[in-house]
Amino acid sequence: MNATTGGHDPHTLAGAYALDAIDDELERRRFEEHLDRCAECAQEIRGLTETAARMGQAAAVEPPAWLKDRVMAEIGQVRQLPPALTRTSASRRGRTGRSRWWPRVTAVVAAVATAAAVTVGVLAIQARDQLEQVRQVNRDLTAVIAAPDARTITAPAAQGGAGTGTVIVSRSQDRLVFLAAGLAPLPQNQTYQLWQIAPGQIRSAGLLRPDTGGHTAPVVTAPDPGATQMGLTVEPAGGSTRPSTQPLLLLNMPAT
Amino acid sequence: MRPERESRPDGDHHGGHRSPELEELLSSVARGDRTAFERVYALVAARVYGLVLRVVRDRAHSEEVTQEVLVEVWRSAARYDPERGSALAWVMTIAHRRAIDRVRSAQASTDRENRAARLDVRRPFDEVAESVQGRLESERLRRCLEGLTSLQRESVTFAYYGGYSYREVAELLTVPLPTVKTRMRDGLIRLRDCLGVER
Repeated sequence: MNATTGGHDPHTLAGAYALDAIDDELERRRFEEHLDRCAECAQEIRGLTETAARMGQAAAVEPPAWLKDRVMAEIGQVRQLPPALTRTSASRRGRTGRSRWWPRVTAVVAAVATAAAVTVGVLAIQARDQLEQVRQVNRDLTAVIAAPDARTITAPAAQGGAGTGTVIVSRSQDRLVFLAAGLAPLPQNQTYQLWQIAPGQIRSAGLLRPDTGGHTAPVVTAPDPGATQMGLTVEPAGGSTRPSTQPLLLLNMPAT
Repeated sequence: MRPERESRPDGDHHGGHRSPELEELLSSVARGDRTAFERVYALVAARVYGLVLRVVRDRAHSEEVTQEVLVEVWRSAARYDPERGSALAWVMTIAHRRAIDRVRSAQASTDRENRAARLDVRRPFDEVAESVQGRLESERLRRCLEGLTSLQRESVTFAYYGGYSYREVAELLTVPLPTVKTRMRDGLIRLRDCLGVER
């Protein structure tokens, strides 16, 4: 009937949208564009979103008490977003325009950033096309190591820990490589996690799984602006958003 | 007398769905007020964690996602717009999306175990009913869910609590895609009317 939407009335997607059940990014974006033009639909979405949220509240469970300390500690390091741009608030007042549908944008951007950070380290092992990944990592690795400004720092594990870490940084390539050797095997419910540490900011650089010889696959990533150290910690399986243990390895990033 | 955006009289005396307090707190949080954020935490943490746990199912992952959600609330408090809905719905929307993102990225990394755990959600409705027994709010939700047709109820709960996309729900329930889309929408509409959600 409607050629532009493939014969489907976009309105019927309202329920799936409110339930976050549209996993096709393009389809969701199209629906959001439709919402921008259709005040009635936006109104309906509001009610349905509110309804879905009620379903969510009915499942309440007290989180462990330590979670609050972690959250309070983390917000001390997180820069808050300014209010939305004037353009958005103006169009909001007019109830029309192309304001984005809250809070998809920030949530997705943050989620992608987190996922990307966590994924970098595990890509080499988990990617579908393993060989191609390994080749790519090797190419990146070679580029960093062969760069004229490559600088290397190696340090042993902190007292009581086993292993050695090496970080190679090339500012001209805007890349760093992290390698570790001699790491102790961990139980199933724990993982090694790598961090880039800048004053006031710590970011995950991925989860590491050493092979039976205690070697990790090289992590190749861009240095965070201002990062001065790299740290390796032991975290619960799946990783953490912030280090929860003392670093096993702490390496000062080579200065340029 | 009632402020325009206050809850309906038959509504929210026990659940605080339209919580002017939370909205005010968020605007303080947006200015970097940590004390206000602690109160926000007290108001929403259990709801966020409970929802995330229901979708993600793994305790350790749920704790991480809950932390991410609450930090996101801190980070983007200035972006909350009361005209778009209640403060609690805003928080719960962030929580649900983060939980779904976690489940889907686990799926993408071919985490079969996780996938299998999700497929175990055969009766999300019963589970919900069980875990929320005794709470007024949940009683009402339970009653309202019972008022849906079984296809509506399964479509809505599989998507929301199970974290399935509408395509996956269609596959699970072996019904055509347009049917699932329609049932999700009319199911939610019926639920909305039954719960007396403000529009």
